[in-house]
Amino acid sequence: MRSDRLEALARILVRYSTAVRPGDVCVIDAPAHCSEFVLAVSREILRAGGHPVTRIELDGAVELFAREASEETLDWIDPGSEVVTEQADVRIVLDAEWNSRALATADPARLARRSRARSHLTKRFLERGASGELRWVVVGYPTLSAAQDAGLSLHDYEELLAATCLLDDPDPVARWEAFAVELQRAATFLATVDELHFLAEGTDLRLRVGGRSWVPCSGRENFPDGEVFTGPVESSVEGTIAFSFPAVYRAREVTGARLRFVGGEVVEATATSGQEFLRAMIAQDEGARRVGEIAFGLNESLTEFSRSTLLDEKIGGTMHLALGASYPETGGLNESALHWDMVCDLRCGGEVWADGRVVYRDGRFLPGVLK
Amino acid sequence: MTDQRIERLGELIVGYSLGLRAGETVRIDVPVVATPLGLAIAQAALRVGARPILAAKLPELEELLLREGSDEQLGWTSPIAACELAEVDAAVTIWAETNTRSRSRLDPRREQLRTVALGRLAAPLRARLGSGEARWCGVLYPTHAHAQEAELSYREYADLLLAACHVDGPDPAAHWRGVAVALAARAEALAPVRELRILADGTDLTLSVAGRSWIAADGRQNLPDGEVFTSPLETSARGEVAFSFPVAFGGHELDGVRLRFDEGRVVHAEARVGQQHLQAMLATDAGASLLGEVAFGLNPELDRPLRHIGLDEKIGGTMHLALGRGFAQAGGSNLSAIHTDLVLDTRAGAEVLADGEAIFRDGRFLHDVSAGGAA
Repeated sequence: MRSDRLEALARILVRYSTAVRPGDVCVIDAPAHCSEFVLAVSREILRAGGHPVTRIELDGAVELFAREASEETLDWIDPGSEVVTEQADVRIVLDAEWNSRALATADPARLARRSRARSHLTKRFLERGASGELRWVVVGYPTLSAAQDAGLSLHDYEELLAATCLLDDPDPVARWEAFAVELQRAATFLATVDELHFLAEGTDLRLRVGGRSWVPCSGRENFPDGEVFTGPVESSVEGTIAFSFPAVYRAREVTGARLRFVGGEVVEATATSGQEFLRAMIAQDEGARRVGEIAFGLNESLTEFSRSTLLDEKIGGTMHLALGASYPETGGLNESALHWDMVCDLRCGGEVWADGRVVYRDGRFLPGVLK
Repeated sequence: MTDQRIERLGELIVGYSLGLRAGETVRIDVPVVATPLGLAIAQAALRVGARPILAAKLPELEELLLREGSDEQLGWTSPIAACELAEVDAAVTIWAETNTRSRSRLDPRREQLRTVALGRLAAPLRARLGSGEARWCGVLYPTHAHAQEAELSYREYADLLLAACHVDGPDPAAHWRGVAVALAARAEALAPVRELRILADGTDLTLSVAGRSWIAADGRQNLPDGEVFTSPLETSARGEVAFSFPVAFGGHELDGVRLRFDEGRVVHAEARVGQQHLQAMLATDAGASLLGEVAFGLNPELDRPLRHIGLDEKIGGTMHLALGRGFAQAGGSNLSAIHTDLVLDTRAGAEVLADGEAIFRDGRFLHDVSAGGAA
């Protein structure tokens, strides 16, 4: 990444997203090939008086583990992960890989076993995040792998990301704060709604959100950002949803995924490709077949699908649904080792009804709905 | 793509050096440049059912901290590392620098603060190593920086280093088991010695090793390896020593080091190169000016200085002394944040007396102790 942008990104993450304070233990998770990012962020953390701690992923380490670990070792949790989960004040997690398909041929049952063994860490992570003990952010970054998945050159992918993150702006933090006000308007409206009804091609899904909190996301836990989300009432989800974009999880792509819900649980899961993987992930634990999150993507600077969930779930005019763990700050109660966001495009003919009244059409809230 | 020698080195470390068993945990300290070896060790560990922790390091990050960190930040160490070091059954350190001079302009005071903090971090593991509760192995990995220091191409350097580890052939562990037998016999022969006197050009140093154990360095704690060592009695060293080979570490070079000892302590120190660094090093703490080690280098594959202490101290026919921390398992009691080895070329014009009797001359022991030889 261009050095001025890298510095701007590091400043936003440390001063705005995670607001590092003196003495904070700041854990940075990143692959080794993004060392320039690690160094830029570490420098900002030092300047803020924090203590950078790096967890550098080596090229090939994850697939080595997936390939060679015994069953007992798959269940093993390294002591450092427990310490990070309990003691980090800040976590900055880079969403970057050498090869997004490195685990494409790994046994899904082994991957599921691994994530099940780690589910208590995920749960604590989310709890500490919800209570404010932990500030965390997942960060998109221009890598060759991500560019290739988006069908772009590295240069063009960096331009896309820089524009979305507002890195070339003289005061990106002010722009993100302004965006936060806009997102809050959507959250304020949605907080008045009990039942949501999504209609789109192949989709007819009803769920209840009354009593749950909608969270506006303006660059604090994801960067870039731009969505409002909540956890629906677990047993309320009924109907069918067809995902127009491929559903990407752990390097696997599932296309044409359709889920049918009865009483809040997936009773039928089909896909044109990757169906077996989809079913294996849903079967991994109790909570994996329930919905942990429902959200509207509201970032208008993102328009095209890029095969990066972090970006795609924010595309203005989309909604997404996550199977698995809910975020405790929404009031959601679902627990799972899984959290799989799947994105549905509402820009062409999609409608959302709120308590029997149409409030959203073709990817936008209707005029007058958001105050 | 993998180099078969690197895979064998990983297997050697896991199978022979550490003897890892199913369910045991090993922490691998791996600079990013040494990723192939880090993964080879992790793979070998996973294949025996052990649990590897890849603790990857970016050297630039430590430099950044040393350059820009506050005193408080320099003195702080990660609770993750502390927890791992307290719990693991075994640890591997991979030495692989990407620029041996990267610390040349650092403020020695700041560096010292950091050295002390890191020494404190490692202390619990050291204690567990001393009691045999945990095992450790340090292994050198070839980099352009090390090759440059040795004035060789990368390939020449890698070939030489891996030959010294004996991973060219199919069964490196068999070779090292043979080395272990020979070195154990040498250590046993040295066990009754009370006093050593080392005589060489510019050197006449006497030290007591009475009651201390000689330890065979047979590829279990270092790779490459090949030495026998002990910790001398802390207050015993007296006389002068002139070290032969230049050493480069942490961005500093030391050459032409001469030390004078009295009652175990350095009373005069000079270096033709690196005088200031030498003085700062000696001032690190109270134990830094005492000897923690005396040793004979016995790896015949290593026959010339390559300006890396991990190799040069093993050159067959040389001796080395270390300032700083002693070895508890040898009976040593000196404590320090430093352990700096300095090598003495004893291959020509040198003699070592044991309790007044010559035992070593011009790079060779005078009595063969190998199986069937005279004691």
